[in-house]
Amino acid sequence: MRKEVIIKFTGYVMLFNAFFLLVSFLISAALSETSTIPLLFSFLICIIFGFFPFIFVENHDEISFSEGLVIVAAGWLITCLVGMLPYIMWGGEFSVINAWFESVSGFTTTGASILTNVEALPKGLLFWRSSTHWIGGVGIIMFVLLILPHSTSSRLTLINAEMSELSKLNFRYKARKIVQVLVVVYVGLTLIQTILLTVAGMSFFDAINHSFATIATGGFSTKNLSVAHFNSPLIDYIIVFFMLISGLHFGLIYSTVIGRSENIFTTASVRAFVSLIFIGVILVALKLFFSNYYGWWDSLRFASFQVVSLASTTGFATVDTNSWPAFTHIILIYFTIQCAMVGSTSGGLKFDRVFLFFKSLGKQLKLIQHPRAIFVVKMNGRAVSEQLEKLTLVFIVLYIFTFFSTTLVLTAIDVDLFTAFSASITTIGNVGPGFGEVSSMSNFSTIPAFGKFVLSINMLLGRLEIFNIIALFMIRKGGF
Amino acid sequence: MKKNLKLKILAGFMMLVALLMAAGAVSTIEFLKLSQSVTVLIDDNYKTIEASKTMLEALEREDSGILLVLLDEVDTGREILHTADSMFVASFKVAKNNITEVNEDVNILRIDSLYKEFKNKWSQPFNSLQSQGGIGVYHKDIHKSFLNVKKAVNDLMTLNQRSMFEEATMLKEKSHRAIMPGIVAIVGGLVFSLLLSFFISKYFVSPISEIAEAVKNFTIRDKVLRTNIKSNDEIKKLETEINSLIFRLTKDSETKVK
Repeated sequence: MRKEVIIKFTGYVMLFNAFFLLVSFLISAALSETSTIPLLFSFLICIIFGFFPFIFVENHDEISFSEGLVIVAAGWLITCLVGMLPYIMWGGEFSVINAWFESVSGFTTTGASILTNVEALPKGLLFWRSSTHWIGGVGIIMFVLLILPHSTSSRLTLINAEMSELSKLNFRYKARKIVQVLVVVYVGLTLIQTILLTVAGMSFFDAINHSFATIATGGFSTKNLSVAHFNSPLIDYIIVFFMLISGLHFGLIYSTVIGRSENIFTTASVRAFVSLIFIGVILVALKLFFSNYYGWWDSLRFASFQVVSLASTTGFATVDTNSWPAFTHIILIYFTIQCAMVGSTSGGLKFDRVFLFFKSLGKQLKLIQHPRAIFVVKMNGRAVSEQLEKLTLVFIVLYIFTFFSTTLVLTAIDVDLFTAFSASITTIGNVGPGFGEVSSMSNFSTIPAFGKFVLSINMLLGRLEIFNIIALFMIRKGGF
Repeated sequence: MKKNLKLKILAGFMMLVALLMAAGAVSTIEFLKLSQSVTVLIDDNYKTIEASKTMLEALEREDSGILLVLLDEVDTGREILHTADSMFVASFKVAKNNITEVNEDVNILRIDSLYKEFKNKWSQPFNSLQSQGGIGVYHKDIHKSFLNVKKAVNDLMTLNQRSMFEEATMLKEKSHRAIMPGIVAIVGGLVFSLLLSFFISKYFVSPISEIAEAVKNFTIRDKVLRTNIKSNDEIKKLETEINSLIFRLTKDSETKVK
């Protein structure tokens, strides 16, 4: 493995981060804020470390798959480390572990925060916080691939390392086109949402920050009360729409826009995902209405916001769901575990795996009836290989095992069971808010430092996908 | 394009220097801000707080002086009143010339007018005070004026104390921001040095070792020095020159043999 190639690619990643740090610095400098110097220094560090490898390392056209895996993992790790620099240099509530947690939570688009007073942050730092969502949403490597003139094989290697097998099913494009589709949809949705939120009454600064967090399915808000601060049904419904869209496969969104036959309306998995959310919203709304929590329209408004927020792994909140009935908690926990669709900006288990699991279950039941028959599982009209089917089942088991292990660790350091369990599933699913002490209107500040570190690893596992991390360790053991 | 080894190493070190200089500059700026905050604490707030304390002390003395006058200790009372008045006026001047907080000027104007009103009441002749009702008028009127001035001075002191507390809290944050660039630069410098040594080893030491190894294993039958150097710098030039030397030596020895 060529270390110099990996170092050069992480240099690109740092330069990409440097651009957003520069924008954040300019905001801070224009407003004469206390975060000006921390952002400027972080920008300089990124520029120096980003350009440094270019002095020595020549261009390399080919990248091996193992190098690709390490580049992706190192890119994410370096990004998270760079992301914490402005926080620790600014101070306030940011200790080293808090800054690391906030940075990982931002880049992995989890949206879990340790801040008790978000509004105390200068605007430049708030913008950087939202930018971490936006950079991490589509995957920093994807942005790097868009900009860099690398060979098709290198690009394909890095795409393979960054994306799951399932998400590639609906991308019927070449490597460069995949990157372009992703970025065009991503930037387009962000711009449209920003305009709509501004028209709906948000300030431009809040609108762009909330759009970054929505399209990236992140969840960081610029307000202590999250979206509840604006208390506007119109803003709620705009965000609900974009959270839902951001939870869908970006390739299919692009296909819908350019008028392809295979689009979000004709794809079985999308229809199943949206139908399930619809059922979830109705059930929660009915429960809230008949339990006399709100009137019917408010029940529908709050239920749709909270269900879509968790189902898309965004994590914004308009009410404190902690006070809701237990029945609604179960539904919300289900959506927290299920997560959104592959090919979207969300992390975690992903709905398509659950969908494939049930299809596979159906196949196994048929096999019990007809042991000699040959059945093929199809996803959106395409046959799924036995290998992918098995991998998906193993992934689900590993996923469940991981969040149970994290729950065990958290309870060992005296976090209560409900908080530990919901914090584990919400971080591995890159969702954000949970229940108990980490509910939608609360934060992760009360979790002990070691617990925060464990949860940050959970977030990275959810974002990078467990198999990629295992593969990374296999490289060291000579498995690749 | 041919890349110069010297320039590459120089660029690496320049970047390290730039990192350290940036950290130094940032720390200096933050420390300057820190010292400004200390100045604010000492010059702006502390001075007015001390002046306010003196004003309060002077007011208390004036109150005692008034009571002594009313109790027929006219000379002692008047002396205390005049001394305390000078003390108050001097401290008020200090506070008036040190307006640094928002709304502090309003407070100063209020003290000025209330004190004038208070002073006007006790500076009347003794007979006049007695004829107005003596100790009774003190309770009804003079003491009320005294309390009003005291409250206004207390407000001024509270305003400055609050600002001083806020500034002191900010000092902790400012000192953190002054120290952090240094710590980040130390860690960054260490990582940078490791990277630089890796690149020097990879692009300079290893190729030279490779050439040395190739020279060591070279036999006359090889005719060409075989290395795996792909760069386009002085080390490649060295390899080319060695090969050219080998070519010339081989040619010379062949000529001699003929």
